[in-house]
Amino acid sequence: MNLALSLGVAILFGAGIRLMLGRDLVRIAAGTLLISNAANLFLMSAGTAEGLAPAQGPTNSDPLVQTLVLTSLVITFGFTALLFSILQAIYRAWKTLDTREIERRGRGG
Amino acid sequence: MIFLPFAIGWIAAVVLFALDGTRRWVGWLALVAILGMFGAAVALLVQVADGQEPAIVVGGWPAGLGIRLRADWLGVGFAVPVLGIIAALLCIENLRGGLRTRIGPALTVLISLGLTGVFLTGDVFNFYVFFELSMGSAFAITALASRGRHVRVAATFMVANIFGSVLFLIGVGGLYHATGSLDMPIVSARLGADPAGTPLLVASLLLAAFLLKLGIFPFHFWVPPVYSETRAPAAALLAGALANIGSYGLLRFGGEVMPDALRTGRVVLLAIGAATILVGSVLAISRQPVAEILAYSSVAQNGYILLALGMGGYAGFAAAYVYAIVNSIAKALLFSTTGARGPLVGGAFLVGAMSTAGLPPALGFVGKLALFRAAWSEREVWLVAWIVAGALLAFFYMFQAFQQRFWMVEEHERSSRSVRVGLGVFALAALALGVWPEPLLGTGSRIALLLAGGQP
Repeated sequence: MNLALSLGVAILFGAGIRLMLGRDLVRIAAGTLLISNAANLFLMSAGTAEGLAPAQGPTNSDPLVQTLVLTSLVITFGFTALLFSILQAIYRAWKTLDTREIERRGRGG
Repeated sequence: MIFLPFAIGWIAAVVLFALDGTRRWVGWLALVAILGMFGAAVALLVQVADGQEPAIVVGGWPAGLGIRLRADWLGVGFAVPVLGIIAALLCIENLRGGLRTRIGPALTVLISLGLTGVFLTGDVFNFYVFFELSMGSAFAITALASRGRHVRVAATFMVANIFGSVLFLIGVGGLYHATGSLDMPIVSARLGADPAGTPLLVASLLLAAFLLKLGIFPFHFWVPPVYSETRAPAAALLAGALANIGSYGLLRFGGEVMPDALRTGRVVLLAIGAATILVGSVLAISRQPVAEILAYSSVAQNGYILLALGMGGYAGFAAAYVYAIVNSIAKALLFSTTGARGPLVGGAFLVGAMSTAGLPPALGFVGKLALFRAAWSEREVWLVAWIVAGALLAFFYMFQAFQQRFWMVEEHERSSRSVRVGLGVFALAALALGVWPEPLLGTGSRIALLLAGGQP
């Protein structure tokens, strides 16, 4: 795991958490997308050796993690689509995507 | 043999997606598929009881290289009851008039398939994939089952659980980084030889992920809104079937893959478990709507599983398994009664309430007794006291809920007779298992032997 990858994971994860702590549901969804991809990048970094192409051999990168990341990317992609479709349903029901506003109106009745 | 539940599940899910789930016969078709998977799981249980170890390495790869599916006591011990619970819930829902959504039956089969995969896989990453399969279907079912403005809870559920999945995925990455393998026994063996702090770090990530799935304090924030605002059948499916991913994951990863980390974290588990019981019970007492009382009650009840795991050893693992299954059955029963009205429903609720409070002859008594025994054998007086106090609090809030739901209201409408009879039969089955708990206790002791390796 080299420095560039570590920094990439750190920045993605930090930015994602920062977005998830906000009020706006679109930002929260974007935050979950970022932290999911931070995890994917971390998984990828578990098998890189100096960025060489994945192939058999002692000094090259591990191809297995790349297939794992491919799988988890598909899952991330599917979940993101589902999350945004749920956001659309929320917008149709509440006419807003501000969590505090939804909370306030939900309590009001 | 072991591929049979997967073959049935995949084929049924693909066929059901093409059909219109609002028609009643499609719901019954889904029930047939889930019963088929249940039958296959029972056949695997018979094989395991015979002393065989059904296993297959997918794609014909040599063991250790390919993805391994295998059935052992822990796997089938969860697969059989969980598939049974899903079948019972789907049957009651069909009697009520079907799932009324186009893809509901297909999603229910996919949840069953994902859970079966989680229980039967021997590969860490494959565990993650199946777990996401069932979570993704559960997200969709929650969104479909929360009508109108309630749909906001689907976003809460989804964001919280994606966060848990991310933690789990990072843990899997860490395991692969540290051991160079994804096969559970190999990972376990290589971690045992690693003196550095990596196993503990990975174990904390996995622990946080499973606690989030189970909804344990301090990760319980998403549970009450989701369980109380989705329609009763979906809440029953989440609390009765899906939450088992958490308890199974804790037993599998804590008991089998990383036993050293589990022993190191003993105090943490006991403290979190005790805090969960207290917070969940007190909040349950302070709530008014029955659905919210049940939601906080499931938070509190899952705390006991953590206590049992923290005690560890033969008695602790057996108690954790028995408690997890007992609690799933009680919660599935209770949440499905909240959607029905009329005679027999109250009786079914009462069986669930007695089970939660741990009164004989209901099923919950068996769970509490196993836990009590484990705490007693450890000579941990404060744990024994805590369990008794928790049971008293549960008695209080469950009967408060019963009084509110069935005594203080005039009931004008009634559910159809078939739904009420279905709930009654479910309650009777739960009661029968409480009167004759041998199969459950026997499985629990086999699992404890497998994990603790000690003597009964």
